[in-house]
Amino acid sequence: MSLFDIIFTGSEQALAACKSIVEKTVAERGENAKVAFPGTAYSLPTIYAATGKKINTLAELKNVIPMIESLIVKEQNLEKALNAGLATAVAAEVIEACKYVGENTPYAEPCIGFIPDTVIRSLGVPLVTGDIPGVAVIIGEAPSDEEAAKIIKSYQTKGLLVFLVGKIIDQAINTKIKMGLELRIIPLGYDVTSVIHVVTVAIRAALIFGNVQPGNLAELLKYTKERVPAFVNALGPLSELVVSAGAGAIALGFPVITDQDVQEVPENLIVQKDHDKIAATSLEARGIKIKITEIPIPVGFAAAFEGERVRKED
Amino acid sequence: MQDELSYVKDETAIPSLLKKAKDDKIETVWDRALAMQPQCGFGEMGVCCTNCSMGPCRIVKISPDGPKKGICGATEDTIASRNFARSVAAGSAAHSDHGRDIAEALHYAAEQKRPIKDEKKLRALAEEWGIQTEGRSVEDLASKVAEKALNEFGKPFGHLQFVERAPQKRKEIWESMDVTPRAIDRDIVEVLHSTHMGCDADYRNIITAAVRAALSDGWGGSMIGTELSDILFGTPVPHEVEANLGVLKKDCVNIVVHGHEPTLSEALVLAVNDPDLIEAAKQEGAQGINLVGMCCTGNEVAMRHGIPMAGNFFQQELAVVTGVVEAMVVDVQCIMPSLPQVAKCYHTKLITTSRKAKIPGAVHMEFDEKNSVECARKIVLEAVMNFKNRTDNVLVPEEKVTGRIGYSVESIIRALDGITNTFAHQSGTVKPLVDAVKSGVLRGVAAIVGCNNHRVPADQSHVLLAKELIKNDVLVVTTGCGAHACIKAGLMSEDAVKLCGKGLATCCELLKVPPVLHMGSCVDISRILQLLAIISKYMNVDIKDLPVAAAAPEWMSEKALSIGTYAVASGIYVVLGVTPQITGSENLTKYLTSDMENIYGGRFEIESDPIKAAHKILDHIEVKRKQLDI
Repeated sequence: MSLFDIIFTGSEQALAACKSIVEKTVAERGENAKVAFPGTAYSLPTIYAATGKKINTLAELKNVIPMIESLIVKEQNLEKALNAGLATAVAAEVIEACKYVGENTPYAEPCIGFIPDTVIRSLGVPLVTGDIPGVAVIIGEAPSDEEAAKIIKSYQTKGLLVFLVGKIIDQAINTKIKMGLELRIIPLGYDVTSVIHVVTVAIRAALIFGNVQPGNLAELLKYTKERVPAFVNALGPLSELVVSAGAGAIALGFPVITDQDVQEVPENLIVQKDHDKIAATSLEARGIKIKITEIPIPVGFAAAFEGERVRKED
Repeated sequence: MQDELSYVKDETAIPSLLKKAKDDKIETVWDRALAMQPQCGFGEMGVCCTNCSMGPCRIVKISPDGPKKGICGATEDTIASRNFARSVAAGSAAHSDHGRDIAEALHYAAEQKRPIKDEKKLRALAEEWGIQTEGRSVEDLASKVAEKALNEFGKPFGHLQFVERAPQKRKEIWESMDVTPRAIDRDIVEVLHSTHMGCDADYRNIITAAVRAALSDGWGGSMIGTELSDILFGTPVPHEVEANLGVLKKDCVNIVVHGHEPTLSEALVLAVNDPDLIEAAKQEGAQGINLVGMCCTGNEVAMRHGIPMAGNFFQQELAVVTGVVEAMVVDVQCIMPSLPQVAKCYHTKLITTSRKAKIPGAVHMEFDEKNSVECARKIVLEAVMNFKNRTDNVLVPEEKVTGRIGYSVESIIRALDGITNTFAHQSGTVKPLVDAVKSGVLRGVAAIVGCNNHRVPADQSHVLLAKELIKNDVLVVTTGCGAHACIKAGLMSEDAVKLCGKGLATCCELLKVPPVLHMGSCVDISRILQLLAIISKYMNVDIKDLPVAAAAPEWMSEKALSIGTYAVASGIYVVLGVTPQITGSENLTKYLTSDMENIYGGRFEIESDPIKAAHKILDHIEVKRKQLDI
């Protein structure tokens, strides 16, 4: 199957999942049930940024489905493939929004799910000053807990903001990596769709700091590509859905680096099977240059440890 | 077919200059094409034979009672295929003699210890050809390589060295058809022999001989010409260049170098930079000396030195019509014999330089490769001294554009290295290009080559075809007059990226290249073969399996037929915008446009509409993608 066909398949799966969860939620809660993410002025940020429309109720959310459908045009060219990737992103946002319908709190420790505006505002300054040189999004599962820890720490010591999605969260827990917003290691959720919560960080950065007008999709994609130094590490077996979500990342300008066999796309989709080189490969792919003065001390040293709390038992 | 109005549609013709030609009562190629109408149907269909003095014979197709055989008994199939094969042989001969001259130039350069520009390429080629490189001086190596190259033209045994560059499966196909080129001159001579009266009468066998002669060109004469030119004069690297007739300068001594072989034009490049000659030009009241290139020799010096590309085949007469050309210096091939008549109306001196190509009415100043720079100085001085004869009847057109050119295989691979990841990929390979194609970001690659021809709107067919292809994410590579047409249309500028599909635009932005890559002159089509061979070997498939195609939308010369034939025999789908003189034989037409695909994997397609041609190429590319499961 061609790479584009894999993406289209994944997008269709996302669309199907999205349709069924919306139907189910409507059936349970009724069309007038409120839809909102907690702590944001940007409604459902992906949809708001792309269309300029705010979504308030399930009925309105249902209307997003035709838009997703229209983004999936199975023609063999990059433009359509990237649009299909965006369709997956929108579908993921709809699915995640359904989880939050009513006063639900779908995410529990260690996962944080949706990230409120206040956090983004607090991250804005270090992102602009380069204090946070990049944003790593790690999806999936490393071959071992140790490998997972090694990759996460390689980013943490360089001051990057690290988001975790999937089984890698458990791997981080197993290796006693300390996580949390203040430590710049943020476990989002176990479902692939929870990756949208980091996408909306980039999107809200464009709206808040880039003054991108909601509805101006081209400008939004330009901003994320040029100003948000994010990339994705997709580890472990890749489903069509993950590949399709990866196309969404590429549409936003974020390269995807994977340890799996997949057709590479120069500068955008890169295979790196040597886990020791994943960080270096990723930083080069995103053009992140870090000047490091290595201090030979027996503990990790980076801005990311600044918010760390030392508990009695430690 | 051709009326006066369609002149204006010709993008090669600059309207102001065309009007001036008319005012000055200059007859141009368009006038002669019009006067020729209607052209002879027997010749157009390829069923007129003059191969012996029992003829001329013709086969009458349109009525049942006309002759169906020549006097010797040759059928329409025999006659049309013989004519086609002789054209291919002539084209192969032209390119190959060019290659031979370059090999000789390398020989003399070694003998006279003149500088060899690309020593690295020389060493690589020596190694490829099994020449001991260790401990050898550059001159010694150059001499050995030149000798080996010269032997390619007439060696009695074995096959051409460059055949080894082809992928294994390709070589097997050639072997099975017994068309593996052996020695360049021999393969050409064999066509002339076979097509003599009373010799080969089997149209398939005649085309097989033509294929062998054509392969001797692409994988022989042309490839030797390109590789040795790079060694002698430097391998092209990307740079900016100006194009179109607006590059002529009113206040300078203008010298147009026109023709094909870079030996002459390279020597001219040195001569026009000679301080004594520049001083002489200033003494004559000029600001300096302005050297510009036309046709393929123009491509050669543009690719290596950034010398402006004055124009292509149909613009050669218009260049003189500007009235500011002190000298048009020509060597061989595609030089219209009408030029002396045009030059006579102005002060322009038409200077022929090759004993292989003299033109009545021109000044002949023979170029001697053993004494190249001195010859060039004399020619330039002749031009400088002619500056004072310029009249007021001048018009320097405003048409001028800038583009980025210089895409040899080496510089393409260097550009690709720029988008590899240090930690994940090797450098020096075609992997990024292959990945872009396999992932579907690029749908494929198409080559646009060839000439100008009054039978189609000149330049437009090149440009419309290129635009339609890049819009659909197909990377275009181009050479020859097609390259001139594309750069004049702005397709080698940064802005051209706006005309691309998202996939190609992304690639161009990443690589910092235009969507249409200028790969050089007509012999440099061997660069395209080389690139395809490298890609095939990297992907472990044959050339015929690749999502690639070629087009000659405005082809004219016999060289173009040889090029088309070696491309088809190398496994490439080739779209011709002008119908070759074969239609009198249904069998031959079917053989070239269909049967050959079963044998070689490539075939000819005839389509004069450039947009339809583009879509045939796109369809072909998608079929190949499907077969590769990408």
